[in-house]
Amino acid sequence: MTEQSTNWEPKIIAFLCNWCSYAGADLAGVSRFQYPSNIRIVRVPCSGRVSENMILSALKSGADGILVSGCHPGDCHYISGNYFARRRFALLSNLLDFIGVEPGRVNFSWVSASEGEQFAEVVQGVTEKVKALGSASRLVKKIDALETELQVA
Amino acid sequence: MKVLKVTPAELDAMMQQWSKAHRVYAPALVKQPAASPNCAPGWRRVDGSGALTLSTGPTPASVKTFFFPQPETLLTYTLENNHPDKGLMREPEKSKEMQVVVGVRPCDARSVLLNNLPYQEDPFFQANRRRTALVGFTCDQSLSTCFCTQMGGSPLGSEGLDLAFSRTQDGFIVEVGSAKGEALVTGLDLAPADESEITALAARRQKEVKASSTELDTLKGRELGKLYDAPLWQPLGESCINCGACTFICPTCYCFDIQDEVVRGQGRRIRYWDSCMFPLYSLHTSGHNPRGQKVQRTRNRFLHKLKYFPDRFGPFSCVGCGRCVQDCPVNIDIREVMNDLLAVE
Amino acid sequence: MPTINEIVSEEIRAQARKLLEEGTVAAVIGYAAGTLPMTVRPLVVRSPEDCSKLIWNTFCVLNLANYLPATLKSVEPPRGPRDPKPEGPLPKVAICATGCWSRNIVVQTQEHQVDRDRVVVMGVGSRGMVSRRKVEAIFSGKEILKVEEGDHELIVQGADFSETINRWSVVRDNCQTCTHPDPVLVDVRIGEPVSERKPPNPFIQVEKIEQKTVDARWAWFTEEFSTCIRCYACRNACPLCYCPTCFVDDAKPQWVGKSLDAVDTGLFHVLRAYHCAGRCTDCGTCETVCPMGINMRMLTKKLNKDVLNLYGIEAGMQPDAPLPLTTYAMDDPQKFMANEVAPVPSMAPATLGHRGPVPGSVKEGK
Ligand code: SF4
Ligand code: SF4
Ligand code: SF4
Ligand code: SF4
Ligand code: SF4
Repeated sequence: MTEQSTNWEPKIIAFLCNWCSYAGADLAGVSRFQYPSNIRIVRVPCSGRVSENMILSALKSGADGILVSGCHPGDCHYISGNYFARRRFALLSNLLDFIGVEPGRVNFSWVSASEGEQFAEVVQGVTEKVKALGSASRLVKKIDALETELQVA
Repeated sequence: MKVLKVTPAELDAMMQQWSKAHRVYAPALVKQPAASPNCAPGWRRVDGSGALTLSTGPTPASVKTFFFPQPETLLTYTLENNHPDKGLMREPEKSKEMQVVVGVRPCDARSVLLNNLPYQEDPFFQANRRRTALVGFTCDQSLSTCFCTQMGGSPLGSEGLDLAFSRTQDGFIVEVGSAKGEALVTGLDLAPADESEITALAARRQKEVKASSTELDTLKGRELGKLYDAPLWQPLGESCINCGACTFICPTCYCFDIQDEVVRGQGRRIRYWDSCMFPLYSLHTSGHNPRGQKVQRTRNRFLHKLKYFPDRFGPFSCVGCGRCVQDCPVNIDIREVMNDLLAVE
Repeated sequence: MPTINEIVSEEIRAQARKLLEEGTVAAVIGYAAGTLPMTVRPLVVRSPEDCSKLIWNTFCVLNLANYLPATLKSVEPPRGPRDPKPEGPLPKVAICATGCWSRNIVVQTQEHQVDRDRVVVMGVGSRGMVSRRKVEAIFSGKEILKVEEGDHELIVQGADFSETINRWSVVRDNCQTCTHPDPVLVDVRIGEPVSERKPPNPFIQVEKIEQKTVDARWAWFTEEFSTCIRCYACRNACPLCYCPTCFVDDAKPQWVGKSLDAVDTGLFHVLRAYHCAGRCTDCGTCETVCPMGINMRMLTKKLNKDVLNLYGIEAGMQPDAPLPLTTYAMDDPQKFMANEVAPVPSMAPATLGHRGPVPGSVKEGK
C-alpha cells in the first residue's frame, strides 16, 4: 500500500456499455444527480465486449477500482451479450477473490438508460468501497520500483 | 596461481565476511517465501548464517540469471509532459555492487565463458561479469545425466571460477582463479594448501581428462547440409511441444527479445529471455516465419548448440549439465541427439 | 504374472499394429519409453513395425490430446492454404486416451479443432499417474537410477539403496481427486474399464485456499508464482492452448509484460487459467511439466469448481452441449453484481450463491 494522504482520491475505471449504462450515466448528468467524480468512463459497445484482459490491464496500470456496467439481463441491444458477460464476470470475480484481490476492487452492475439515479447510486457505492480499501497495490505494476526490485543484484 | 587450504568453519566465516561487504547468493533448493522477492528463481540471498547446502549435480537454476537478468533494463524514459527528461532516453543507473555467487558447479562456470564469446562486446553482459564473482565447488559425485566430460568440461574443472573449492580429507583446497577471487580472500588468514593435496587434485584431474571423450568433436568437421536434412529431426520435432523449458533452464541458451514497457508515463526498454522454440522468435514483420514449423525450431536449438556455434566460435554451446535432459517434459535427450547426429551418414 | 500395465502395453501394441495394418488409421499417438527413470516420450507411430516401441506405464503424465490436431493435419494430403479440401474422407488417427484426455478430445471436438470422425480413441482406464516429483521428494538428495513398477507398489533404486513404496501415495494430486478415470470416448477398449471414483471431496485443495483470509490468499498467490521463469511449458503442454497468437505475445496492446516482474507473471497465470475456464479437465499436465514445480493447477481447479457449482458443467462430459462460456441461462446466478439487490425484471432469483457450499458429491455429466 502506498502512502495515503488525506486528500487521496481513488481512480476508478468504468467500462460502460453504449446502449444502457453509458446512457444512464448521461441521464444522471442531465438530471443533475450527484455522484463522485472518481470514475473515468470507457465507452464500450456492450458489456460482452469487456474482456478479462481489459479489466486486468486497467488494474495493472494503476486503477484503484473497476466498474463494468451493462444493460439489465433481457435488455441487451445485441440480445444476449450481457448474458455471456455475466458468466464470464462471475468466474473472473471469483478467481480474483481466490488469488486475494480485495473484494470491491472489481465491480459489476446492470444500469439501464433510464436509471440515472441508480447509476449515481452504483458509482457512489463503488467509490465508497474503493475508498475504504485504499489505493490498489495488488496486480498493480510499478515501473519505478523495477530497477531495485527486479535486478538480481 | 595461489592455492589455499580452507576448513569448513573457515568457509562459514568467509561467507559471513563476504556478506558484510557484498551481495552473496547461494542455490535455493526449495521455493522461496514471498518475502524475498529480491532474487532470481532458484537462488537466494544469504547473510552467511547457516551452512551452505549443495545438491549433487548442477544447481537448481543456472548462473546465467546473474549475467542476463530477466529483465535487463537497457533504457528508461518518461512520457510525462513538462518533465525535464521528456524526449530523452537515459541509460539507467546500474548497481556496481559486487555480487558473489556461491555454490557454482564447474559446468555453469564454463557456460559463462562460452556465453562470453557472442557477448564480447555487450556492455550489459560485460558489466555484470565485472561485478560478479563465482565461487565454485568441484564435483565429487555426478548425476547420471551429467555429461560435462563429453563437452570439453570436467567435474573437477576450475575454468571460469574466481574461487574453486575442491574437497579434501578435512576441508577444501581453494584455487584462486582471478583478481576478483584474490580480492575475496585478501584479509582472511588462510594457510597455503599442502603440496601433496595439490598434486592429488592434479592427478584426479588427469584421470578425468583421460576418461573424457572427444568423439563429439568430429561433428565440427561434418557437412552442415547432411546434418540439417537428417531424418532424426522429424520424430523429435513431432514430440517436442516447443515449450521453451529447455532453453530457459539451460545455462548456455542466451537469446533475448526487447520490448518497451510503459506504466503511468514511465517507460523502460527491457531485454528479457527469449527462446528459439517459440514461433514469435523468428516471426518477421511481414508475417513470414522462416521457422514456422515445430520441427524447424527443434532442429535449430540442437544445431545451434552443436554446429552453428562451434562453426563460428570453436567450442560447443552446451556444457553438459543435463538440466534439459532432466526437465524436458517429453524426454528429449540431447545426448541421444548427439549420438544420432554422429551416426548420420 | 504380468502387471496390469504390461497387459495394457501389449494390447496397445497389438491394437495399434492392427489399426495400421488394416489401414484404418494413418498414425497412432502413444508413448515410448524414456531415457531416464519415470520418464516417457510421446510418440506418433506411422508403421506397423514401429508399434513395438509403444509402451504404457504409470508415468504417462502428458496429455496426448495435445498432439491430436497437429497429427491429424500431418496425415492429410499436402495442400496449399487456398486449395480446397480434398474429396472423400481424410485419413484417421488413433490415440491412446485416459479419462481426462478423452474429455479433452471432446472439448477439441466441441471447439472444432478435431473432427471426431477422424479419431479412433484407444480408451485406457487410468489407475492414476505417478508424480515423478513426489517420488523424488521421498528420496531427496539421492539420485534415482531405476524404478520398477508393480500394480500397487514401486521399487525405487539408486546407487546404494532399493526401496519399495506404495504407488497410490505418490500418484499425482489431480489423479487422486479425479472422478472420471475411465475414458468417456472409447472406440477400441484397451484393458479393463475402471469405475468412477468418489473422492471424499475433489476440491479439497482449492477449499483449503478459499478458507484463508484475503491477505493470506494473496500471500499464497505471490509466493506460489514467485519462482516462475515464464518458460510457458504449462501453456504449451496443455491441449486447450492452441491459439496461433497467445495473449502473452500481443505487443499492442501489451496485456502482460514479458519479464519476471511479479505482476506480469501473476497476470499471465490468472489469464492463462481463465482462458481454460469451463474447458479444463484437470489432467494435471500443466503442473507436471513445470520445471519449477509451481502449482498453477490450483487456479484452473478453482475455475472448474465454480463452473460446476454455478452452471453444473464438467468439461468434456457433455459432448452435445455447448461449452459453459459459449452459452448462458436466463437465470444464471449473479450474486457478484454490485446492484444485484435492485429489482431485476423477469429474472428468476439466483439459486446458487457463487461462493456457496460445494455439493457433497460431484454431479455427473448428463
Ligand atoms: S555436469 Fe559435470 S560439472 Fe556439472 S554438475 Fe555434473 S559433474 Fe558437476
Ligand atoms: S523442453 Fe523438451 S518439449 Fe520443451 S521445447 Fe525443449 S525439447 Fe521441446
Ligand atoms: S543444452 Fe542441456 S545439457 Fe547442454 S548446457 Fe543446456 S541445459 Fe545443460
Ligand atoms: S489447464 Fe492444465 S489441467 Fe487443465 S486441461 Fe490444461 S494442462 Fe490439463
Ligand atoms: S511451466 Fe512453470 S515456470 Fe514455466 S511458465 Fe509455467 S509456471 Fe512458469
